[in-house]
Amino acid sequence: MKFLHEQLDNGLDIIAEITDAALSTSVGFFVKTGARDESNDLWGASHFLEHMVFKGTHDLSADEINRRFDWMGASANAFTSEEDTVYHAAVLPEQQVEATSLLARMMRPALRAEDFATEKLVILEEIRMYDDQPPFGADDRCRAAFFGSHPLARSVLGTVESIEALSVEAMRDYHRRRYAPGTIVLAASGAVNFNELVESARRFCGDWEPMASPPRRVPFEPRPAGSSSSLEYITRPTASLEYAVRLSAGPAGDNADRFASKLLATILGDDSGSRLYWSLVDSGEAEHASCHHYDFLDAGLFGTQLSCDAKDVVELLARIQEIYQDAAGQAALGRDGAGVGISAAELEQARNKLAGRVVLGGERPQRRLFSIGVEWAHKGSYRSVSDDLQIVEKIDLDDIRRVLDRWPLDGPSTTVLAGPYPAATSIEQPAAAE
Amino acid sequence: MPALLKLRCHFLASLLLRPHGPSKLNPSNQSRFHAFSPTVTQTLFSTTLDNGIVLLGEHLPGLESVAIAFHTPAGAVYDGAGRCGLATLSGEMMLRGAGKRTSRQIVEDLEGAGVQWSQSVSTSHSSFSGAMVARQLPVALPIYADILRRPLLTIEELENARQMVLQNLAGTEDDPAHRAMSALRQLRYPAPWGMPSEGISADVEQLGIDAVRSFVAAHVRPAATIIAIAGRIDWDDFVGRIKVLLGDWNTGVAEPVQSGSRGPRFRHVPHESQQTHIAVSWSLPPYRSDDSYEATAALAILGGGSSSRLFSEVRERRGLCYSVSAGYHTLRDFASAICYSGTSAARAQETLDVMLAEIARLPGTLEAAELDRVKARAKSALVMQQESSAARAGGIARQWYHLGMVRTLAAELTRYDRLSIASIEGWLAANPPCELSVVSLGKEPLEVPIEVSA
Repeated sequence: MKFLHEQLDNGLDIIAEITDAALSTSVGFFVKTGARDESNDLWGASHFLEHMVFKGTHDLSADEINRRFDWMGASANAFTSEEDTVYHAAVLPEQQVEATSLLARMMRPALRAEDFATEKLVILEEIRMYDDQPPFGADDRCRAAFFGSHPLARSVLGTVESIEALSVEAMRDYHRRRYAPGTIVLAASGAVNFNELVESARRFCGDWEPMASPPRRVPFEPRPAGSSSSLEYITRPTASLEYAVRLSAGPAGDNADRFASKLLATILGDDSGSRLYWSLVDSGEAEHASCHHYDFLDAGLFGTQLSCDAKDVVELLARIQEIYQDAAGQAALGRDGAGVGISAAELEQARNKLAGRVVLGGERPQRRLFSIGVEWAHKGSYRSVSDDLQIVEKIDLDDIRRVLDRWPLDGPSTTVLAGPYPAATSIEQPAAAE
Repeated sequence: MPALLKLRCHFLASLLLRPHGPSKLNPSNQSRFHAFSPTVTQTLFSTTLDNGIVLLGEHLPGLESVAIAFHTPAGAVYDGAGRCGLATLSGEMMLRGAGKRTSRQIVEDLEGAGVQWSQSVSTSHSSFSGAMVARQLPVALPIYADILRRPLLTIEELENARQMVLQNLAGTEDDPAHRAMSALRQLRYPAPWGMPSEGISADVEQLGIDAVRSFVAAHVRPAATIIAIAGRIDWDDFVGRIKVLLGDWNTGVAEPVQSGSRGPRFRHVPHESQQTHIAVSWSLPPYRSDDSYEATAALAILGGGSSSRLFSEVRERRGLCYSVSAGYHTLRDFASAICYSGTSAARAQETLDVMLAEIARLPGTLEAAELDRVKARAKSALVMQQESSAARAGGIARQWYHLGMVRTLAAELTRYDRLSIASIEGWLAANPPCELSVVSLGKEPLEVPIEVSA
């Protein structure tokens, strides 16, 4: 693998990870904007704009864009998160220039009023679709409660009200401010011709006007240890299961402990073979129980998800709390042979598991595109597959203990339940770490 | 943008295997898709053991991983009346202790070796799969062999396994798109082919350990088992290891499956939701039929990409929905076109009407540019599949099951090249979409026009 970087005069970064054996080329524009960059009157604009980018430019119709992607045989799509909006296409190498130039042209959409009105209906359908699905809004509500007044509190989709109130003029202004060349990374992976990539960027992005962008980081202060946890309910009487989302503080994207945190989450709450799995899922008591670490520019969190019969949710949330206490070495669980604290054997198994994922993921140019694109967009740095393997290999029990000490999973947390569980019934709050 | 991936039109990759030994082919000499044909050298292997196990392999240059899949014929078609979910419960039980390993040791030993494992039950197969760094294969193979040959199937594990299956079933109740699809399959295919492989709660609650043990003894058997491996493989070494582990395995006998009757063509499933989910289906030739290429190409023009007719007319022009697509679902002897959309209740009738109009409009209106795009997408997908060991292990096994052979990428590309507007229109004229089945799931039923319901 070879990594190359170049920057245009207007500030657009161009990066590529080239793999000689690859049969395909993945290319993407990583725009450093997402829900966190919106104001209340622009709530949902980043994601809505992502849809509008596919509606055409001044000289390309939406139909023409769709036809061109299909004609190239491209697997093309886009997604929006709290921090990024990403447009990507996987093609055979001979289509690299065509795919890059089409995506580049799309970055300057026409944003026509009539398209805006039609696509607004699609966005509203997307909101309804997710509202009908597990976890029935518990994830958005929990993140809002956890982040409070921080920009990461805002959900990606927005609400029916915020989308209905959004105007095309406001979106045009948002696009002008957030899609400047200095806030965009053009990334490619797989069988990449770098010279042609740079040439495409010069031709189609070279005249983009540079513009200063405001700083995005906003200090986030998780509630201090000892403060109380919170619990909210979304009542869905007809749901078959109860869905719980629980968030607690974790290291941010600029903290070196984020890697050990992901390993810790693998030990405690991976989808299989973890402590949560053996205690709750293997026994058939929960449909799903997992814990993952998520990091953002200026904040991080551990997210626990549980789905189970509503009558069991209180007991199982308490058991999850016991498992987290046990991991921290504060109390003996004495169940299923799981010992106090994290064992060397558990660490080794999780390291091997993650290393396997790194190797397998490294073989797919489409997956590598997202890794290198987001890493560069957030940090301006590059990590190879070998770098990732070395990081995983070096994590030891001291690192795990330090994470557990600094970000106690059994400490203050924010929990939201969605399902038939009666909201009137009180659930005893998990004990906060003192 | 999440989509209903289960329904994406799939053009399965095909590779023609000589019965024994490798074949090296360079499809760049044979493809006439575009001037810029890919250079993909395929190295394919196959052999059949004396006990009937079929071994398939493909070496993928440049990869560090291998992926392996064991497909046993213990699929849900053998569940039996009143025992819907037996194959799924049995598959779960097989993981809960085998040979000298406990349930926990199986998972810890696989994951300790960095194996990404999975287990699944479909209508036709009970499958155990894993992807890993190639050097870990010798660690993983004996574990899988124990799961197939020496599952403990203890009474102590039965209740936990049953509860896990029931939890999964409860979860699917909250997934409206899944429920609509499940209802549609029950309408489309005769029992047991249309029954839900994940089971029915009332049946699963009644299943005992004897039923599980009998099922495993009868249906997890070497004859009709396919083992496919792809990635950085050493074929001779692999075959040698499998012969040691599974060469003397001889259990079970084939049982015929009795087909029952099909359900009604129309069904509304009441569901408390904002959106109404719509599924429309009709019969297509199964994958092993040569004209499935014509059928799936027509279907792809209808709803297989972002420039397809359904996406353009239902979503792009009218903004009626977020999800709309058409896909091909094939069993060995039956296949269906399945069109899907989910939209708010007030706009569901218009969505169904537009979908039906586009389906009816298909014969006689295909354009060359549409076919070019379908070919390009199919070709691209075929080549990109060569980058994934797991995709190839799945692909070659699927082909063997459907065709009793594996086509080369070159043969597949050549077959696509033979597709023309005339060949597809000819097929459509003889086989226009007819006898449509329609499922709606939501608050209110939809009206199916008389010309469709007649």
